[in-house]
Amino acid sequence: MPLFKTFKITQPKEYYEKFLEKDVRPDNRELGEFRPTVLNIGCVTTAEGSSLVKLGNTSVICGIKAEVAEPASDGKKGYLVPNVELPPLCSTNFKPGPPSELAQVLSQNMVDFLTDSKCVRLEDLCIVPGKLVWSLYIDLVCLDFDGNVMDACTLALMAALRNTLLPVVTVDEDSGEITTDVSIHQKLSISKCPVSTSFIIFDKKILLVDPTSEEEDLATGALTIITEGDNLCSIYKPGGTPLTDTQMKTCIDRAFLRGREAERLIEELIDK
Amino acid sequence: MAAAFIVVRKEDLEAQQNAESCQTLRCLTSELGCLTRSDGSVSFSQGDTTVLAVSYGPAEVRINQEQYDKATVEVVYKPKVGLPRPIDRKREAILKSTLEAAIVTSLHPRSSISIIIQETEDLGSNMACCINAACLALLDAAVHMAFMVAAVAVSVMEDGQIKLDPNKKEELEGRATLTFVFDSADLKVVSVVTSGTFSQEEYKKSIDLTRLAAERVFQFYRDSLSKKLMQSI
Amino acid sequence: MKVCVGQVTLPGDEFDMSPLESNKKIVVGPGLAEFEGMIKIIKPGILRYREPATYWIDSHQKRYVANKGDLVVGIVTQKVGDIFRVDIGSSEQASLSYLSFEGATKRNRPDVKIGDIVYANVLVANKDMEAELVCIDSDGHSNGLGVIRSGGFLFQSSLHLVRKLLNPNCVLQKTLGKTFEFETAIGMNGRIWVRAQSDIQTITMANAILASEHMNNVQIETMCKKLCKVASKMD
Repeated sequence: MPLFKTFKITQPKEYYEKFLEKDVRPDNRELGEFRPTVLNIGCVTTAEGSSLVKLGNTSVICGIKAEVAEPASDGKKGYLVPNVELPPLCSTNFKPGPPSELAQVLSQNMVDFLTDSKCVRLEDLCIVPGKLVWSLYIDLVCLDFDGNVMDACTLALMAALRNTLLPVVTVDEDSGEITTDVSIHQKLSISKCPVSTSFIIFDKKILLVDPTSEEEDLATGALTIITEGDNLCSIYKPGGTPLTDTQMKTCIDRAFLRGREAERLIEELIDK
Repeated sequence: MAAAFIVVRKEDLEAQQNAESCQTLRCLTSELGCLTRSDGSVSFSQGDTTVLAVSYGPAEVRINQEQYDKATVEVVYKPKVGLPRPIDRKREAILKSTLEAAIVTSLHPRSSISIIIQETEDLGSNMACCINAACLALLDAAVHMAFMVAAVAVSVMEDGQIKLDPNKKEELEGRATLTFVFDSADLKVVSVVTSGTFSQEEYKKSIDLTRLAAERVFQFYRDSLSKKLMQSI
Repeated sequence: MKVCVGQVTLPGDEFDMSPLESNKKIVVGPGLAEFEGMIKIIKPGILRYREPATYWIDSHQKRYVANKGDLVVGIVTQKVGDIFRVDIGSSEQASLSYLSFEGATKRNRPDVKIGDIVYANVLVANKDMEAELVCIDSDGHSNGLGVIRSGGFLFQSSLHLVRKLLNPNCVLQKTLGKTFEFETAIGMNGRIWVRAQSDIQTITMANAILASEHMNNVQIETMCKKLCKVASKMD
């Protein structure tokens, strides 16, 4: 085995430090640089909307299925049901069986992402007030787990929502019969484009953006910022090394930069 | 920010800022050692929001959770009614990583430090209340900690006004709610959890306001612990 | 926040080193640790000092963490080969070799059963290893250690109460001893075993010990007087 590989396995932290001294990461990225982002939409033809996102090696596929459902008591709001799956195929960390704690937390993060940013108004999912609404099942499956799944998931989710086409549903007033016209499609109205940016804290002081799985394992803390236009949708820092206000500000500024970048990426793709 | 210019009278602005910085936390109360069998326990309330927090440790660890170089921190959150939902799982995850940052886990390898939180009444700022209660429970059990943590929440109302330590009504009416957790050593940010949208300006204001309030929470910790220690030692 | 001796300390507080000469060696005990060249408090409690330069934190806790040289009261839970596993209330069970009893040899095994109470000395205590107990001193004598099997009552208290009872200034045992005849084994792990002349007296003793946690010496003496009166009427 080459010497550098032995060094990497036996002393991963020191191995990283050697690179970070020179302000570069082992995969030749700068500290504040994202991995190449590849976005693809409409890859699942059986779903109403779909997308595939690759952030370096991390890949997440998203499919949106639409069903008609009865609304809750207030009558006008549809449903958005996101779910994140981390199957055993994406990493050795996950075993078959019920969803892991990480998967549950990620699913909850997706729910919060949608409710905080209000990128889809639930009223827009109404078909007949008080009778019929759309229920969108958003399934996100991680195919390759190489860190920063949160950013990949949110990007996939937004791209898939922009790609979603819903058939026109009409209800016969007298008989109550539901007819679906598959020949005409409607786009979901999405006015906002929230983007998430994740950081890790390495060795209690250095901030790295878009961490790989290796970097996540070495991290002493993590931070995710969701921006939408000029506003913040969420700052999520669960524990870890305490940060100063200046460090937080640096992260927020970087997140806004990434926000505009990702927004442009999605726009370009949709326009095609 | 959108290029909109609103004429604001300077006096009005100052009055609003003064009102904001004068805000106080709701009344804090705690009963340390309220349960006899646990290593540490506290019944903690912030206004009408009340939780019961219990800590055990360092105790025996389940073999599949054993870590050879540090203690395993476990957090269980019990909602007032029903079974724990995914939102409670997220709450547990936040609590766990926040407390892990504070506890010196390397001193007790191959053991577990568990914290159980029973929600008794959620009338606003529940997350902050849980974190503060968990910290007090750990202090009551005299678990080794590098620093203490204090959490304070704010709500940003529709008109941009910032309410410190919001109650349930303010939380629901507000556009956003931000919960900040600070460490006691140099008041850096340990955790941030937010919901809803807010501007950078509002974030800045909130963090300044909560940092001031966090110092009062730390003073409260000191007062309650002094009372307990003076009595028993 | 910087703290001085005798003050209430909380985790994260800084130890005030300014009154010390910088080249003087100091010994830091439980509750203090060094972080990045600074001594910080990591436990809530009261800062104590002893000549020449020992500092530690006196804290109130219930959970025991094994310490070398402590005398503990444990319960035998398992026999594995040549060792007994003993529950001493810490995060792991301690081990006790069958050879570390007075007069024990490979032929002459000590009579220890599962469920027995043992009074033992902690020989090895290390955060990375399981604790090891012995029931003999370095000369091979039991010196009061060993299996306790003659009735009595075992109960749990806070670690601080135990330290208070073992403090030579504490009058509780002396005062009680004037009226009652009793035996005790007080473990640093918060377990206390008591046996007196009758069951009633044993229970009285246990209650007196538990009640003394928040009392000073004067209050303890008053309580003992009352107890003696009541107990003499019962017999």
